[in-house]
Amino acid sequence: MIGVVILSVLLLIYEISDSHAVINGWYERVVVGLFIIEYLLRLWLCSDNHQIILAHYEKADYLNIPFRLSKVMGILLAKKLEYISSPLSIIDLLAILPSYRELRVLRLFVVFRLFKLFRYLNSIKLFAEILSNKRFELYTLAIFWGFLIFIGSTALYFFENPSNGGQVTSLFDAFYLAVVTMATVGYGDISPHTVGGRLVAMVLIFAGLSFIAFFTSIIVSAFSDKMENMQVNRVYAELNRRRGFVIICGFGRVGQHIAGQLEKDGEHFVIIDNNAMRVQEAKKYNYLAVHDDASKNAVLINAGINNKATAILCTTGDDVINVYITLTSRHLNKAIRILSRANNEENVKKLYQAGATHVIQPFEIAGMVAAQYVGQPVAFEAILGIISEEKQFIMETVCVHEGSFIIGKAVDDIDFAQRKLILVGVISANPVHCTHKNRYQVKNQHFYFNPEEYFQLQAGDLLVVLGRKVGIDYFRSQVEKSRLKLGMRP
Amino acid sequence: MKRIAIFGYSMMALETMRRLSGSEYQLIFIGQNQAEVDLVAGQGVDSRMVDFRNDDDLRAIGIGSDIDILFCFFTKDSDNVFLTISARAISDNLTIIATVDDPESAEKLLAAGANKIIDPYEICGRKTYALLTRPDITTMMDETVFGQHDLNVAQIEILAGSCLEHTCFSGIKSIEKHNVILVGVVDRELGDELHVAVGEKEHKLDAGDFLVVMGSSKDIMAFKEDVAAGVRVAGECNREV
Repeated sequence: MIGVVILSVLLLIYEISDSHAVINGWYERVVVGLFIIEYLLRLWLCSDNHQIILAHYEKADYLNIPFRLSKVMGILLAKKLEYISSPLSIIDLLAILPSYRELRVLRLFVVFRLFKLFRYLNSIKLFAEILSNKRFELYTLAIFWGFLIFIGSTALYFFENPSNGGQVTSLFDAFYLAVVTMATVGYGDISPHTVGGRLVAMVLIFAGLSFIAFFTSIIVSAFSDKMENMQVNRVYAELNRRRGFVIICGFGRVGQHIAGQLEKDGEHFVIIDNNAMRVQEAKKYNYLAVHDDASKNAVLINAGINNKATAILCTTGDDVINVYITLTSRHLNKAIRILSRANNEENVKKLYQAGATHVIQPFEIAGMVAAQYVGQPVAFEAILGIISEEKQFIMETVCVHEGSFIIGKAVDDIDFAQRKLILVGVISANPVHCTHKNRYQVKNQHFYFNPEEYFQLQAGDLLVVLGRKVGIDYFRSQVEKSRLKLGMRP
Repeated sequence: MKRIAIFGYSMMALETMRRLSGSEYQLIFIGQNQAEVDLVAGQGVDSRMVDFRNDDDLRAIGIGSDIDILFCFFTKDSDNVFLTISARAISDNLTIIATVDDPESAEKLLAAGANKIIDPYEICGRKTYALLTRPDITTMMDETVFGQHDLNVAQIEILAGSCLEHTCFSGIKSIEKHNVILVGVVDRELGDELHVAVGEKEHKLDAGDFLVVMGSSKDIMAFKEDVAAGVRVAGECNREV
């Protein structure tokens, strides 16, 4: 396609340079045909139509609700329109439109595809920035070059004067010959004829080669110096475009696992690690990663701790570093969630003191898993699978919003079995429930396990339900919709 | 009473011993030096110093005779693999649970004969992710089922001749009476997957299947006793299974 695009632009240039030229009609038709086919294919493939229809059908079938084709078609149409209005799609369309005779003036839009391919502007901006950063070295080199040119021009003017049998008639000719020689171009229109002039030319050629080598090395080193900064800036720019993301400090075994889970669930995150090898490892997976010290204020601020970051995960294997990052993060943002890893039990308290929201002890959890496996392996594997969402069934909370249809209802009146859900319990801080049995203290709330049939739900209660994701999502949407119908704001 | 041997001094080993002590298990800690043995002995656990490379020493502590479960908690994966392969060669029936540092060693441990591999870093990653995405559920489970509160998840095996054998899963009665939640069933005919009790599919209970229930230890015990005593806890199986 790149070749086709370039050829179509060349034909356009040919047509402009020779107004009497006749563009080969069949080629234009082929090119436009290809563009149309490409456009239609992209439009068709921009969303998985079969998947969307099947997902809605299966959901309706599972929940015993009527399947509405019009609703699905509406979703599909919305996705197509979203694609049509995307910038790349508009550029594709502009490349097709000029084929209409009435719109031949739009032929120029074919050139837009070249902009998409090459992105000249960014490169020029980058090049100017690099030249600006290396101006001291470049000034020095320019002075050295000017000095050589001055000496060379004077010497060539002296040796290659027509009175000595040469061709240099003016000082400008001498300057021109010196520059052409130093650049190792050698047009041959003016050339040294005298022994002195040839000796000067030889010196200038070697000096010119050295000059080019110096210049190249300055530019290359400037590019390599700039490359890391550019990559970091690209990461920050990318983060700025996200609605929310998680900052993972440390890309060891634990960090890698969390990043993998977040990636799988389509969540956004950035990794900060002061180990270059680990950052490289993260980049291999196409993760956004910054090679820096996460305990520095500037690094966390640049990463967006006060902007769009939703949580900080301190997952390094060193408790001292984790405490320091936790403290720095809490100092910078009082409200952000900080989950920190503690390898030694004695450091758990310190991490909480530093401002961690949760502290995770890998070896304690692993020990607990090992101990539980001994007694109830089947039950434990099952419940662990449900909690970690590895299985088809999951356990989630559904909030009882003010104004929703379940408010004030007894749990027996909400037919969970019909919804293919199991009500495990209710999490609530409401003192109204305190008379109920099976009450377990969970931080500053209570968990009411297997509540009695007359347990009356209150605003702010969290229902802990077990079932398939589709069932839980549907129940949650019903609860939220009922609230909206009553005019409550989300 | 089941006898458990724990090899290797680590935080994981200490946590496991802490959780298993005082229950229906008899623990033996095997250290690599006297300092480790003294430290664990100070916590009231039977501790010995044994060379895990020597099969006779392994037999002497009961592997192949009265040890039921073996924990390999050495910090080096190679040591865990060696101990697993040695213990498996001595006993086919031993349950071996091993920890792993490098994920690549997990397959080697399984090949050596381990029944269960525990990767602390992977578990920590999962835990952190769960806390990040579903803090309510994770905190609730930590404080109740995995914490100090008396709320447990338990498995009940359907034994041959049990009153639940050849009955329908959906027809199980007396759950409400005992204040336990029937989470699901592991139907061995269909594999090791847990089928959650949301009424999607009927399961005929056979010997070897497991019911997974949730409740306080007293209520679970009462339900188990009902099942064991043959109290009618199951209804008729009306649906085709």
